[in-house]
Amino acid sequence: MWNDTTMYVQSPAKTSAVLDWLEVLSGAGLVLFILGHSLFVASVLFGAATFDGLAGFFESTGLAQVGGPLIGSVFLLHFILAARKIPFRTEQQKTLWAHARLMRHEDTWLWLVQAITGMLILFMGSIHMWIILNDLPITATKSVALAHSGLWLWFYLVFLFCVAMHVASGIYRAGVKWGYIRRDNRAKAKKALYILAGALVFLDLVSLIRFYFLSV
Amino acid sequence: MDRMLTIHVFRYNPQDPDSTPHMQSYYIDETESMTLFIVLNRIREEQDPSLQFDFCCRAGICGQCAMVINGRPNLACKTKTKDLPSQITLLPLPFFKLIGDLSVDTGTWFREMNTRVESWIHTQKEFDPAAEEERMDNDTAEKIYELDRCVECGCCLAACGTARMREDFLGAAALNRIARFVLDPRDQRQEKDFFEIIGNDQGIFGCMGLLGCEDVCPKNLPLQDQLGYLRRKMGIYALKNLRSTKKTC
Repeated sequence: MWNDTTMYVQSPAKTSAVLDWLEVLSGAGLVLFILGHSLFVASVLFGAATFDGLAGFFESTGLAQVGGPLIGSVFLLHFILAARKIPFRTEQQKTLWAHARLMRHEDTWLWLVQAITGMLILFMGSIHMWIILNDLPITATKSVALAHSGLWLWFYLVFLFCVAMHVASGIYRAGVKWGYIRRDNRAKAKKALYILAGALVFLDLVSLIRFYFLSV
Repeated sequence: MDRMLTIHVFRYNPQDPDSTPHMQSYYIDETESMTLFIVLNRIREEQDPSLQFDFCCRAGICGQCAMVINGRPNLACKTKTKDLPSQITLLPLPFFKLIGDLSVDTGTWFREMNTRVESWIHTQKEFDPAAEEERMDNDTAEKIYELDRCVECGCCLAACGTARMREDFLGAAALNRIARFVLDPRDQRQEKDFFEIIGNDQGIFGCMGLLGCEDVCPKNLPLQDQLGYLRRKMGIYALKNLRSTKKTC
């Protein structure tokens, strides 16, 4: 825009639109997966047998063996698509950080939280999937052992918080960008965002605590 | 009204090789119904005639006195000191070329933007100066007018995280301008034509939805709703026309 020119080449290419659709659709798919995953993990609240039964079902149907790497690929795809908007150059990072600090604007900070938690999820999620999928079958006994070994409890505490914040802010952001969250319902949507994040943290936290104190 | 205001102002004259960017403080007694426009004029008249800032209408219409006021872009003439703490920091709008102190060149950017989005009614109809003007239904006229209230102050761009990172981003001002022409029945452009202007990462698909524009617009334009509407419209158009990529001039 700073070139003093009056010639602009318009393009009929649909690439940006398609990538934007893929970004929001892959995100929506991952949100559904995360909600399902949280519910599956929460089955431990009904006892180790329930958890093991569900895990056994996922493995006997091949969902864990095939679905796991597939979900991992969708995570990677979603990251690559979202990375089109993430500042990777130091200059851009400094500008955006200074901008957020200057503006003290909730939605700008929320986007930073979304971007940073997204990066952390990619890193921590990869570790989580590697650990779990390389040690099938999934059982409550192994999960209990993991919760008690090393720094894994802290790892999962950070991870579940990141996932909850990223899921809630991602839904909110997609709603804003695609016009479903408008000026008239934005305040309610914002409230729903924090309630959803809180509910997800609560559910995952309760499951984690249950694993920690479960005797198998 | 017995407050003594401390006004911290960014000072820098790019034309002067001896000038370096720095903050300068001024002290001024607050008066009733005082706006930052009054504050700056008093500083310039009573304390420092070298202070540069822009103004024209002092009524929120010309958009010239936009600046960053305690972190948020806004118009100086619309901002009352009674709504601010006694310590006030004024910075020039980022994103635009700095002329000096609080004065920036928004004109060059907006001229380029208007060229890029072809900000005029596109029609094949021959203009008949003798004919009565075609009537438009009142609802449509009001919707267009609502978006036409933009005063090109540049606050939305200064508050936009995307525009701050990527200078080629069109920003809410340009997208709102397009939304205005989408509504206008006199404009014969089709979805395809609008898509070719904004259906990319420099346009609507570059918007990250940070809503800085929505929250600072001094004219309270419905920018969030326009951005969402355009993204959906352009996104659906792209899906329906995935296979047609032939450019028509």
